[in-house]
Amino acid sequence: MNGASLQLAHDWYPGQLPANIEVGEDVYIDTSYGFSGFFSEENPGLVLGDGAGAYSLTTFLVQPTGRVSIGSYSCLNGTFVICSDHISIGAHCLLSWGVVLTDTWLSPGSTAASRRSILRAAADDSLRRLPCFSEPRPVTLEDNVWVGFNAVILPGVTLGQGCIVGCHTIVHEDVPPYAVVVGNPARVVRFLDPNETTRSA
Amino acid sequence: MTALFHPLVPGAWLPGDWFHRSLPTNIMAGENTVIDSSFCFKHYYAADSIGLRVGHHVTIWRTNLAVESGGMIEIGDFCYLTNASLICSGRITLGSHVFVAGGATIVDSDFHPIAPAARMADTIALSSRGDRTRRPHIESRPVVIEDDVWIGYNATILKGVRIGKGAIIAPGAVVTHDVPPGATVAGNPACLMEQGTT
Repeated sequence: MNGASLQLAHDWYPGQLPANIEVGEDVYIDTSYGFSGFFSEENPGLVLGDGAGAYSLTTFLVQPTGRVSIGSYSCLNGTFVICSDHISIGAHCLLSWGVVLTDTWLSPGSTAASRRSILRAAADDSLRRLPCFSEPRPVTLEDNVWVGFNAVILPGVTLGQGCIVGCHTIVHEDVPPYAVVVGNPARVVRFLDPNETTRSA
Repeated sequence: MTALFHPLVPGAWLPGDWFHRSLPTNIMAGENTVIDSSFCFKHYYAADSIGLRVGHHVTIWRTNLAVESGGMIEIGDFCYLTNASLICSGRITLGSHVFVAGGATIVDSDFHPIAPAARMADTIALSSRGDRTRRPHIESRPVVIEDDVWIGYNATILKGVRIGKGAIIAPGAVVTHDVPPGATVAGNPACLMEQGTT
């Protein structure tokens, strides 16, 4: 970490954090278990801002060309970040368990032959790395975004500042700032007042 | 650093496995088929001579292979399962070149009765005071995933479903009915987005 691999104190998993991650002050990382699929060769391949946290089974599946950045005070709790190119998470974001953020999935009209070649390449790789499923499209979460459990954020999506994505929501398209989206596919159900501080539910 | 994957060998202790258990003995696997941890079998209770049969060149990573005593999961060649859950009381069959993405769940039963009174009886039979041999009858209907099917992140495949060759299940889809070959389905409940061209 910042040059040398780091063994987390009290880690139940017999692994290490990768050397090419850059962490700010007071960052919390639960376990190296979430980094066993971190193959980024970028430097840094992952940035965690001050006070950010990767809790529980938060998992980073990152390809050699992948870069992930997470802003300060953002909290990932059992989230899956699946990155071939670039996934950027702003500051003060909340991401729940079972949430998937991915910058690659199958493009429409993918052929069985192309999908077979992906699986055959993975079977030939000693680390069982999967090649990109399609041309990656970066995912961006602006500041203060909240994503509920088991939601999926698909390639190319930008979640606007302050928005909320409900649990189990499948997001294919950009979400405007301060919108609340729910459903599969996602639809906007209301807008929040950016300056409101009192509402708790 | 421990190796990420180990050959899937019946009865083996995987070197450096964080979950301290050996693999079950009543499994069969082909060449170049690998798994990350014995934790995948935490809920594997298959009692028949074979409860899991896996083909060649298969990758199983952090996948829950839950099999009840009379159940069996069959997986063809070149399949890739990541962070998925297969929960089987009868039969779940995956063809070849099937990809199961993270968070996906495949079940061949509801695992509890629908009828309220029977469900109440089931909670008693399942408790530490109860007798599991006296659970009410629970229907199981086989799930068949044919060759070249891709199942997206957090998708769910429910009991009795047959997914035709080459179909794509979009992320988050909840599949309650058969999917024709080559089709793409999405949504909850899953609806046809694209017909198959095959």
